[in-house]
Amino acid sequence: MMSRSEQALKKKPKTWIVNLIFTAAMIVAIVISFSGSTINWRRFTTIGISLRVMWEGLSQINVDFLLGIGIYHFQEGILYLTLETLAIAFIGTFLGAILAIPFSFLSSATIVGKHISKIGTAILVLIRVFPEIILALILVKGFGINALTGVLAIGLHSVGMLGRLFSEAIDNMDKSPLEALDAVGANTWQKIRYGILPQIIPDLSSIALYRLDINVRSATVLGIIGAGGLGATMILAAENWNWSVLGTIMVAIIVMVLTVDAISSYLRGKLV
Amino acid sequence: MAKFTITNGKTVTKPFNKIWIILAIVIVLLIIFWQFIKFNPEFIALDQLGIILKKMFTPKGTRTWGDYFKYMLRLKEPLLDTLQMSFAGSILGSALAIPVAILAARNIFKKKFIYVPIRFLMNLIRTIPAMILALISVFFVGIGVLSGILAITLFTFGIMAKMLYEVIETVDMNPFEALESTGANKTQAFRYAVMPQILPVFVSYLIYVFEMNVRASAILGYVGAGGIGTVIKDNILYNYDRVGASVIVMLVLILVVQFLSNFLRSKLQ
Repeated sequence: MMSRSEQALKKKPKTWIVNLIFTAAMIVAIVISFSGSTINWRRFTTIGISLRVMWEGLSQINVDFLLGIGIYHFQEGILYLTLETLAIAFIGTFLGAILAIPFSFLSSATIVGKHISKIGTAILVLIRVFPEIILALILVKGFGINALTGVLAIGLHSVGMLGRLFSEAIDNMDKSPLEALDAVGANTWQKIRYGILPQIIPDLSSIALYRLDINVRSATVLGIIGAGGLGATMILAAENWNWSVLGTIMVAIIVMVLTVDAISSYLRGKLV
Repeated sequence: MAKFTITNGKTVTKPFNKIWIILAIVIVLLIIFWQFIKFNPEFIALDQLGIILKKMFTPKGTRTWGDYFKYMLRLKEPLLDTLQMSFAGSILGSALAIPVAILAARNIFKKKFIYVPIRFLMNLIRTIPAMILALISVFFVGIGVLSGILAITLFTFGIMAKMLYEVIETVDMNPFEALESTGANKTQAFRYAVMPQILPVFVSYLIYVFEMNVRASAILGYVGAGGIGTVIKDNILYNYDRVGASVIVMLVLILVVQFLSNFLRSKLQ
């Protein structure tokens, strides 16, 4: 005679069969993933040497080059390039946020209605699909090898995500103030100014600050195709395995990203 | 300050709107940062934009549209490489992230000396852009898919560990404490009290990270980490039509993965 708890245990569905099949499939898929023709396993025997070379380079951070003093021109120093990267990210985010506003209205169901909002959403999906680097690749032909290309690439790419998040913020807005304003006889502009803007501005700024975090990271790599910032120096150093320069750049990127993250999360905490 | 007299005789002052200060700061920052955006107006050649788009999306020279589409079929292998890299990297990175996330969560091991240094290390890893991770991987294991897998593993690890510990911190801890009180150790309590709560979120994040990695692999290929990005880099100097074809294939891949990911994640919720 089984006790009640034993009976309950027997009734438990046998999930382990499904789990086993799932795990086996995962392991097989991973093994297949590692069997590419370009994988050279013998490279692993040299990892010790690679680590030593890398460490030697990384420990020789070139302060003159970092600050752009001494034999270096200030504008080729890492400090200047880091600020340029920051500038690209900041202006790019600003541009993206401004451009995203009309798109977000277009894809917000509360403002333009269900059917038109689908068109707006589709446009935003299409914008988002284009990786920044591909955008920059095209834009660099029209705007030349300089930071402006980076700003435009980041700005255009940001529209996709910002537009979607903005439209969500607009859709989540409380509509009762609008009715109240209607009741006291406010006109359209007054309704936007006193009913909509005070509600959405904190959300919108918080979203834009979050995007700034992301854009600072992507601005560091856009330089590899000539869109300004640290990327150009970075790819050059990487192609020559110049670890001391790469190490300097990595330190600069880490400091910049951590600072921007800290400021942005502090401000976002204040906003919400 | 504008002052208003209400009908009952009281005067009220309109409070100063802080938005003007914020707006002023943003404008000042924009002006300062604009000094860094040096560009020569002579370099701007907007007609080139049309030319490059035409070069990218029409067959080059004597090639026909048939060649253009045939080339897309030849991209099967790099396409599979991209998927393979993203898949293996996402799975491995997420697997590595689980133990670290548990250590970093404030509510499992309530010791400051464990979670503070781990969080700091994770933040450090997350600041390094995927491309630099790829550069380092290429240095170690050479050009190819393996360096892509390594880079994506590290990249996934950074994001996943952070997202996971945030999820772990929001779980309901009552079952955990109940199990501990019946004599279960931390592992058992985690397995039966926390795991069921975080598993759906974990799978949803895994799909999301995979989607992100497919996107990121465009950039990774550019520094030699395999996949469709490599094809774009190889052809960028002479064969713009091939670049265009690869871009189309990549965009379709991203769209499909994004669609599937949204679909699967909505099913999970």
